[in-house]
Order: sequence, then C-alpha cells, then structure tokens
Amino acid sequence: MADQIPGDEPVRTGRRGALDALHAVLGAFPVAYFTLAFITDIAYSRSTNLQWQYFSIWLIVAGLVMGGFAILFGGIEWLIRRPRAAHGYRWHALLTIAAWLLALLNAFVHSRDGWTAVVPQGLILSGVVALLMLLAAGMSAFRWGRDAR
Amino acid sequence: MKRLLTAAALVALAACSREPNFDDRSQIGPDPVLPKPQQFLVPPIGVSKPQGWSGGRTPHVPAGYQIKALATGLANPRFIYTLPNGDILAVQAAPPSGEPVKRPKDIVFGMVLGSVHNYPGGRPPKSRITLIRDADGDGVPEIQQTLLDNLNSPFGVSWVDGMLYVANTDGVVAYPFTPGQTTLTAQPRVLTPLPAGPINHHWTKSLVASPDGSKLYATVGSNSNIVENGWDAERGRASVWEIDRKTGLSREFATGLRNANSPVFYPGTNDLYVVVNERDELGEHLVPDYMTSVRDGAFYGWPYSYYGQHLDPRVRPQNPALVAKAIPPDYALGSHVAPLGLAFYTGSLFPQFRGGAFVGEHGSWDRYSPYGYKVAFVPFSNGKPSGKALDFVTGFIDPGKDTVFGRPVGVALDRFGALLIADDVGNTVWRVTPANWKPGAVAQPPKA
Repeated sequence: MADQIPGDEPVRTGRRGALDALHAVLGAFPVAYFTLAFITDIAYSRSTNLQWQYFSIWLIVAGLVMGGFAILFGGIEWLIRRPRAAHGYRWHALLTIAAWLLALLNAFVHSRDGWTAVVPQGLILSGVVALLMLLAAGMSAFRWGRDAR
Repeated sequence: MKRLLTAAALVALAACSREPNFDDRSQIGPDPVLPKPQQFLVPPIGVSKPQGWSGGRTPHVPAGYQIKALATGLANPRFIYTLPNGDILAVQAAPPSGEPVKRPKDIVFGMVLGSVHNYPGGRPPKSRITLIRDADGDGVPEIQQTLLDNLNSPFGVSWVDGMLYVANTDGVVAYPFTPGQTTLTAQPRVLTPLPAGPINHHWTKSLVASPDGSKLYATVGSNSNIVENGWDAERGRASVWEIDRKTGLSREFATGLRNANSPVFYPGTNDLYVVVNERDELGEHLVPDYMTSVRDGAFYGWPYSYYGQHLDPRVRPQNPALVAKAIPPDYALGSHVAPLGLAFYTGSLFPQFRGGAFVGEHGSWDRYSPYGYKVAFVPFSNGKPSGKALDFVTGFIDPGKDTVFGRPVGVALDRFGALLIADDVGNTVWRVTPANWKPGAVAQPPKA
C-alpha cells in the first residue's frame, strides 16, 4: 500500500465496533417494520381489506422480536461504555424502549378480531410507535455524526 | 414520555372492567339483559384442567334420579342418535387438522384452547360411529362396537327410510342401512357437499330430517368468530341448510346463525329449533348463546348484529339493510355456555319434563370463571319456551372450577325415554333415569 489516500485509513474500532454494528443492523428492522405497520394500518382503515391487518400484526410482532434483540445489544453496549460518554444516547434509548413497550401494547390491540383491532386504538398506537422509532433513529444518527467529527 | 406511555396504557385498559355483580340469571329467557360491548387487550379466558372421571365419580342429578355410564372408553363422543329399533349411535369426531395460521393469535389460542381436551390417560379423538345396543334397557350394553370408522370429522347423523345419513364436516353422505344391522360395509353416496376447509373454524355439521322425511336440515357454523378470516371464507356458512333428500339439491334455509347445532323439530310440529353459539370477545356477559326456532328465509344477525339490532363494533363494512331485518332469537341460555345439544322430551319416564327441552352446555372459555358445563332444562308451554331454565345434570366441573371431569355435548332419549348425554372429555355416554328405575316396571314419576 504505497499511496494511502489521506483519511481512508482502516479504522480500528475493536470489539465494541462489532456490538455497534449488530445494534445498528438489528435496530434497522423495527424502524422499518413499525413504520410499515403504520402504513398497512392506514391501508386497512381505508379499505377494510383484512390482508392489510394481517400484514400489520406480523410486522408488529417481527418488529418486537428484532427490536428486542437490538435493545439487548444496545443494553450490553451501554453497560460496557457506561464510564464514558454514553449519556449522549440517553434520548435514543428512552424513545426506543418507549416505542417497544407501546408496540407490545399494540400487538395485543391488533389481536382483536375485525375493525377494532386497528381503528382507532391500533392506528393511533402504530402512528405513535412509528414516530418514536424514527425520532430515536434520527437522534442516534445525529449523535453518531457528531461523535465522528 | 412517561406521561404519554401511561396515558396510552390507560386508554387501552379503560375498556377492560370486570362486572363481578352481574346476574347471570338475567340472561336466561326471551329478553336477556345485554351490557355494553367491551374490547380487550386480552379477552376474558378461563379454562380448567381436564381430568376425566375416576373413582366412581359421576355427574350429579337431582334427588329422585340416577345417572350411570351407559358406554365408556369412547374417543371424543359428540352426538347421540337413537335408531327406530332402539340401537344407539355415538358419533365421535377428531377435529379437522391443518387450519392455516393467519395471525400470531391463532398459534397462541391453538395452544391455550387446544389443551382443554387433553389429559394423561385421555383418549385421542377418532372420527367414528359406535353402535351401542342395550336391548333390555338395564343400562349395560350387550353390544358396543364400531359401526363406521375413519370418517371425516362427523357430527350429525339421521336415519330415514332405509338410509343412514352422516353429516361429515365436508358434506352429507348416505349409507344403505337397516336398523338391527351391527356392521356396515356399504360404500356411501355423497348427497350434498357442505363448506369445509382449508379454513374450517366451526366444523360441526349437525343434521335432522323433516317430519315427513323429504328434507334434511344441516347446520353450518361460521368460519370465524366475527369475520376475522375474511368474507370469502363465510360463503354458505353461519346458516342452516335445507337439503332435498332425493336429489341432494340444497339451499340456505336460514342465515345469520353464528354456530347452530342440534337441529330438532318440535314434536308434532314443523317448527325447527336449533341451539346457537354466539360471538366471543365482547365481554364476559356478551353475547348470550341461545335456542331459537328458525324460519324459512329468516336472518338472525351474525355477523352484523345480535339480538335484533345490537350492532357488533368489529364488523366492516356494515349492512344496515340486512340488520333492519335481523330477528331476535326466542330464548337466551346465558353467555358463553356453548350449547351444542338439544332434545325435546317426549318420553314417559319424566312426565313433568314432557314437551320441554334438554340442552347440553359444553361450557365456556371466554369468561374469567367457567360457566355452563351442564345439561339444562327449558320448560315449554304451547310449543314455545316459557319460564326460567333449570339445571338438570351438573357436576361436570368441580365446585372450585379448577377441574373438568367431563363436558356434555349432544343429548338424546333412548327408547325407554331415559336421557342420554355425550361427554367428550369423559369419553362416556351417560344415561339418566328415575332412581331405582327398572325396565319393564311401571315408571314411577319422581317428585319434581
């Protein structure tokens, strides 16, 4: 490697980097699933086509499973990093956990039969959860960007 | 954030109140009290551990009666039919397998509610019909043997004019059969297919012949609790079918009956009665199951409404034109008691019960505390239900409601006029007679 381009050196991130990556990859799933569940809920509420409702409940359950793992790895990261400047992610963590708990509530609402599985409580919960997830992801991205400077 | 979380939880939980002081007797009779429908995070669920009968334990009957097992060792007996010569057919059924999983809830409910029939020492269900002959009426069968085996989840059976009609879950089949036969090897003819899988939620098809023998009436239950499997799955369901016995041509005779079973003509009339399992997950005290006469062309509400024009909030799109025509049923039996068996008493052993109806109540799951699990008696006068139902055969569940010994399903009379009860957890056919009654002796009417 004779001509190293400045700024393109391999970054040494260590073991924590692997946790970071796991957390980020797993965390992407609930962001996508919960957002999609809100969209499929809207589709159901406008069409009463039950296929959309089935999409919603599977998306919510899948989001809970993947989100659960993301929170687990995030928690391990936090335990390791606690002595240092992890507090910058406090809002990310709080929003994510709140979203996960509301999504759990939403899974029960979505397990009702028919219209009331979605309208109105399910639809509202899906919207709030999607909003919280996007906020949490945005905050995390913003913070990551600042830390990288 | 915490405040938002708490608020959301409160909103969702607000609808989940129990009503411990509700009077269940107010939901028996022609005009039941109907509380407001509720929606839950987790619907009321109360199921007890099945155990079967052991140590000489039996169901309870009032003083002056006795109950004894007529046949034991059966494999999920659901329905009983007495042939003209007095031979008794016990229809046993294994539920159809392979219902597709549409939602995570299907998996969870399958585990919770599927466990209520399995216990150590219990028998795996079989789809067969057993012939029981107790010609001398002493309560000890001379013959108990399999007449038909490997059927397709049968429930109803009826004999007319040299033909034995069996309602399998996917259709009515006919076997040439003469009462007195103890074996049956003839191949059946398919008379009329009935709606079945791949989704086959309420799978019991019960059967009765019209008094003149020209028609058969088959019940076809809904394919869901409240159309959560989609409208396509409900074609031809939640109804009573009329089938022409000669041609097999069929039509829907009455509709809007969520899960009707045990069609029976009121003795001496052309009034067809059924017992119906109403919808779940609207609350412990909604919707009361019922017994009703069914009229040609009538609509009884499911899924849009119940007891006339009480709208179900879970159904979209609604159908106001049809709801306007919905007929309230004749007689409420109580919420979630799960009536499956119906027999009008025409015998002479219990003179005070003549003309009334025995109802086999399989028992609830959608209540915090189990309810039903008994054979009730509904008095009739002038061919119409009249007065409060009373408990006739009880003790299928222990008083603490922790253990289920048996669950009554079909009820019928034997040729002596004794009451027969199919018990699908105890795998037994029970027989109720006056105490110390002996066949041939003059029946002593027990004190009411």
